[in-house]
Amino acid sequence: MEEQLKIDFEKNLKDFSYSDQEKKFKETNFKEFLKQGFPNRKLENWKFSDLNQIIQSNIGELTFYNDYKKENQIDKIELISELEHNKIIIVDGKIEKIDFKFEDQDKIEVLVEQGEENIRENINSLINLNNAFSNKFCKIIIKKNYSLKKPLVIYHSTNKNTQFKNTNLRIDFKLNENACLRLIDIFKDNSEKNFLNIYYNFEIDKSSILKNYKIDKSINNNVKYSYNNVKQQVNSISETFILSSGSKFFKNEINCDLLGQHSSAFVNGIFDLDDENHHEIKSNINHLVENTKSYQLVKSVLEKKSKAVYQGKIFVSSEAQKTDGYQLSNAILLSENSEFNAKPELEIYADDVKCSHGSSSGSLDENSIFYLMSRGLNYKEAKKLLINGFLLDVIEKITDEEIKNLIKNLLGVKE
Amino acid sequence: MLKISNLSAKIENKSILQDFKLEINPGEVHAIMGPNGSGKSTLSNILSGKKGYDVKGEVLFENIDLFSLETEERAHKGIFLAFQYPLEIPGVNTNVFLKTSLNAIKKARGEKELDAIQFLKLVKEKAKELKFDEEKLGRQLNVGFSGGEKKKNEILQMSILNPKLSILDETDSGLDIDALKTVADGVNALRKKNNSFLIITHYQRLLEYIKPDFVHVLMNGKIIKSGGPELALELEKKGYENIN
Repeated sequence: MEEQLKIDFEKNLKDFSYSDQEKKFKETNFKEFLKQGFPNRKLENWKFSDLNQIIQSNIGELTFYNDYKKENQIDKIELISELEHNKIIIVDGKIEKIDFKFEDQDKIEVLVEQGEENIRENINSLINLNNAFSNKFCKIIIKKNYSLKKPLVIYHSTNKNTQFKNTNLRIDFKLNENACLRLIDIFKDNSEKNFLNIYYNFEIDKSSILKNYKIDKSINNNVKYSYNNVKQQVNSISETFILSSGSKFFKNEINCDLLGQHSSAFVNGIFDLDDENHHEIKSNINHLVENTKSYQLVKSVLEKKSKAVYQGKIFVSSEAQKTDGYQLSNAILLSENSEFNAKPELEIYADDVKCSHGSSSGSLDENSIFYLMSRGLNYKEAKKLLINGFLLDVIEKITDEEIKNLIKNLLGVKE
Repeated sequence: MLKISNLSAKIENKSILQDFKLEINPGEVHAIMGPNGSGKSTLSNILSGKKGYDVKGEVLFENIDLFSLETEERAHKGIFLAFQYPLEIPGVNTNVFLKTSLNAIKKARGEKELDAIQFLKLVKEKAKELKFDEEKLGRQLNVGFSGGEKKKNEILQMSILNPKLSILDETDSGLDIDALKTVADGVNALRKKNNSFLIITHYQRLLEYIKPDFVHVLMNGKIIKSGGPELALELEKKGYENIN
């Protein structure tokens, strides 16, 4: 793989006239990735999976080069019809279209050329890989006091014939003071056997609100990894909701740094898994100042040989008194071979805090099934009603009504 | 309507019902009384199709072999069990559940399903008759309901589904006197020429309000004595031990 990486990296560098600074940035990241390789079980954050193995068994040998000069077709991409929205369309890691047609154009700034300094983060090897191979810089800035009228949908798509490929995407977002963004990520693949690696950076200023909904519902044979890095200032709110279902493997990592007082972070999710799918959510909520709050709720419905992992971390620094942190996960195992792993991680250095966690897993309650069947529902209907009921409270955590209904429809939850 | 012959039931090799016989004709109300562990709940579970019992013998419901029917098919044919302990179903709205249930049964019978407006009209009417708090219909099924509310909810379901044979498994337990009267009124309102009832109870109390045609005493999995309503009074006086 190392040979392939080197060839593809050189090819990538040749395609563009990067500035010395950019070049150095890419080379540093590339070297770091070569050193570390794909994450494996030795790392605390990857206790339940070895990415190299997952890629080997689901994809085979990967290639890393992407021709960002090529124009991709986007007219066949299926768009959401239920709600009006702004959109960004991405094909094979390349942004093909940015359309904020519902917004005041002077309130949103899109930087697509390398401009600002690159953040010198060294988070994990996948972010190194991302920085080494992703396309030109893209940053979306929402100006002060502006709330987007409609949600922004990012469509993550792949070309029909691209296989065995790793694609990388990085987008930075900045919400200036008192701004509001509702962001929906929709994953819809046209190809099989790819590895998509996404890295989002969010800077959320004072009193701003970010809502990010990640929807992985359409069935595909791909491997995905997504990392949200969220930095929150005073009074800001971030709400993340993950519907994790369609991909072969999907790991979502959410890192929230609560840097301003009275900021709060919500991470909620559903694993709705079938076959041999393996999905994970890894959260790091870092309470770094006084009076911050976090809440996490993850529900799983697991069929056949599927596997879900939830590693929720609440970190409370010694300064972060009056922290309120909570996490809960519940799973229904619908087969003897399905598997749910919960690993709550609480690291607390302050003494005046309120933190709790809980986790449960079990099968569907046969007595409840009997009760519903004795009222005329067949087994399938009874099971569906119970599962919908089980998922309802996490769906109700979605604070945006329009998007809540969209997700209810996707899950077939009726009212 | 219901004919049970030589029914025996075991659970994990423990014999619960033995050589049980009972015949219920259309329009009749039968009461089965018996002490704890006599097999009363097993009988209601078997009739409504709960799995896990090793059953022998024959049960005919309108001349159809009951054991050939799945749980939901028995509901479609008109058998209803009011549960001794109604289950709490989190996340399932009571109204949604009632409508799903009614329409599943209507669909199976080839009848026209009710739309939302027709259904709401029906459910409101029935809730009013049973003095069932309408606000509860918008809540999750039985979640946070008191014991009495859960039992009333069972009777509400019964009156909406209008079954041919209703089995009431200790519906009176946990009810105060006012709730007991309301529940009895609900049952009496359903008493028609073709609707039959099997009332399972410990005490004679409920039978003061729902007058049975027949009373049977169940002990150790067998009916040891049958009679008219006066048998319930005799039981109340003498206790189960001294009935022969």
